[in-house]
Amino acid sequence: MSELTWLTKSPRPRITLTNPLSHTHSDDRHMALRLEGSAKETLEQGRNRLVIALVVFAFCFVILSGRLVGLAISGIGADEAVATSGDVSPPVALGEGKRADIRDRNGVLLATTLATASLFAEPKNVIDPKEAAVKLATVLDDMSEAAILSRLSSARNFVWLKRNLTPTQQYRVNALGIPGLHFRTEEKRFYPMGSLVSHVLGFTDVDNRGIAGVEKYFDGQLAGSEGGPAQELMLSIDVRIQHALRDEITRHMSVFRAIGGAGMVMDVKSGEILGLVSLPDFDPNRPNDFSGDAKFNRITLGVYEMGSTFKTFTTAMALDAGTVGLADGYDATEPIRKAGFRIRDDHPKKRWLSVPEIFMYSSNIGAAKMAEDVGTKHQKAFLAKLGLLDKPSLEVPEVGAPILPPRWNSLETMTISFGHGLSVSPLQLSAGISAMVNGGKYINPTVVLREEGIAKPVRDVISPKTSDIIRRLMRLVVEKGTGGRAAAEGYVVGGKTGTAEKAVDGRYKRDALIASFVGAFPMDDPRYVVFAMLDEPKGNASTHGFRSAGWTAAPIISRLISRIGPILSVAPVNEASEELQKALFIPINSKEKNLASF
Amino acid sequence: MKLKLTVLSLVLLGGVSYGLYQLSYEVQALEREYAALNENIVKNREAIRILKAEWTYQNRPDVLQALAGKYLPLLLIAPYQVASVAEVPYPAVDPEKFSVPVPQYNPHRNYTPVVPARPVPNGPVQLATFTRGGAVQ
Repeated sequence: MSELTWLTKSPRPRITLTNPLSHTHSDDRHMALRLEGSAKETLEQGRNRLVIALVVFAFCFVILSGRLVGLAISGIGADEAVATSGDVSPPVALGEGKRADIRDRNGVLLATTLATASLFAEPKNVIDPKEAAVKLATVLDDMSEAAILSRLSSARNFVWLKRNLTPTQQYRVNALGIPGLHFRTEEKRFYPMGSLVSHVLGFTDVDNRGIAGVEKYFDGQLAGSEGGPAQELMLSIDVRIQHALRDEITRHMSVFRAIGGAGMVMDVKSGEILGLVSLPDFDPNRPNDFSGDAKFNRITLGVYEMGSTFKTFTTAMALDAGTVGLADGYDATEPIRKAGFRIRDDHPKKRWLSVPEIFMYSSNIGAAKMAEDVGTKHQKAFLAKLGLLDKPSLEVPEVGAPILPPRWNSLETMTISFGHGLSVSPLQLSAGISAMVNGGKYINPTVVLREEGIAKPVRDVISPKTSDIIRRLMRLVVEKGTGGRAAAEGYVVGGKTGTAEKAVDGRYKRDALIASFVGAFPMDDPRYVVFAMLDEPKGNASTHGFRSAGWTAAPIISRLISRIGPILSVAPVNEASEELQKALFIPINSKEKNLASF
Repeated sequence: MKLKLTVLSLVLLGGVSYGLYQLSYEVQALEREYAALNENIVKNREAIRILKAEWTYQNRPDVLQALAGKYLPLLLIAPYQVASVAEVPYPAVDPEKFSVPVPQYNPHRNYTPVVPARPVPNGPVQLATFTRGGAVQ
């Protein structure tokens, strides 16, 4: 069967072609023609080529089918990416790549990051810039037609028109249907409370990097570093208290036409700051619209000669050192003359005053003599223990260092005893006062929520016994002394007024005062220290023209404590009850002649 | 025998590859659904963030104070307005004179509360900055 037989009609002999590739021999009965030489080679070559083509095609088909099976198993393109990413990362990463939120102690949102649309244009693709500008100006209220037109007709390929549109604006721009305009999703830091917590929060720049306040101090934690994801921050601030504080200080600032004001509320046991207000303040949503004065934090960065509030420290120091007893006193009849200075009283009694009287009538002469007896060295050490000579630690970058006197001799000892010559920040003062009333332990103030609500005291400043006397003395000031207007019925307020003349260009300015009041409540077991300060208050008819702290700053405390007491769940008590009177009794030991009988 | 084996293996091959393709398409469909769900979750989370910020913004203390001042006759809390539960006098009821009738059977025994069906959203939350008609709010 391997022979090809060609039959012809011609009488030619029958030729049998033997397949040259098969080596079977045909029978010899027929005439056979064997192909030899070049013919055979040609055939062989053709056959070889066929085999090669076959192998190539077979190879291709194997590859194709292999790929087909592979695709069937693994899927293709985009789906492949989804499948693998789904396996590695958690289903949906929460807030991936977003700067973390800041909340207050109750979880109220103070700062968050939102995705917003930013509008940009490709001027080449804008067909009619003039018409587009007219249309866009109706949507982007704060941009003029001319400004939009100049951007749209610029030669560049890319121009920003407006960053961070509101969803409504984005919708309206879309509705205009102008070609060549596009949106890019960007992240914007948003502060829902506006200017309420401005100084503590600080603000961020266009690229969402913190550049002030806790935004800067905790920038690494909020932004998330290589070490871990972004973490939420919980502040010790309570927005309700913050608002009450800001509201009262704003009100009294306008009543007394003050150029500035500040206030804070601090927990004496944990050092947590529940409210911190510095006025004027700014809106962290648009910090560039505000002046440097508005961004100045008067509580932490500003340092002032605090005035008579320092007498609390002087009295505590003298009582704790034992240089004076509660029944003792000093003669405050004549002003002290020392090194060309005259130390006199603002509320002169012109007689011998007992220690409680010196404190309640805020006698400079008495305080100066008290400090003189204690001595410069001891005073320095005591104030250092209270943290008044070093830069305090707080979780904001804007913390001011105190201004110490260039020399610290007996004259400075005297002036510092009633709060002149040493400038400290209200933050330092409040932290010092909380050490005075909490049993004598200094606690570092903080704006971050403390987990247990109780802080580890840094050091003992005064004995618990002295602290108890200071509580009674501070209560006495409000009950009978200069701070009567700070009383808030039911909350047993105690405190100390402080009126200081502002030092401007090295001289005291008589008509510019810093009126402050630092208090604590409830005085039988103090839980909160409150501080209020007015910068350059002016007297009015209701204060009979007086501008001192007892008339201007003390009423803030009264209103404030009445407002925040219920929020802080401090139960109001009957202040006239015998029990309370006994607990806060202090013998005044006055030698004043009783003239009332005449 | 050889033919049978060939046919059998061909049928087997066809069946297995059909199954494999079917499974593959099913997985692809599920993956697409999964991706869509993930996308929805991301969109919803973003919407929730915005709504939370909006909620906080609308509940600013000064706004609440203004509203309370406008609509509520409230002043500062006076100390006498605060009391503990222990201070609230317990109403003295004389059981001889005054008693509450007790029902014979439990009226709630055969009662099954009607729970309204929860509306299920069919897609990501759309923030209502504009209405469906196209008018901007």
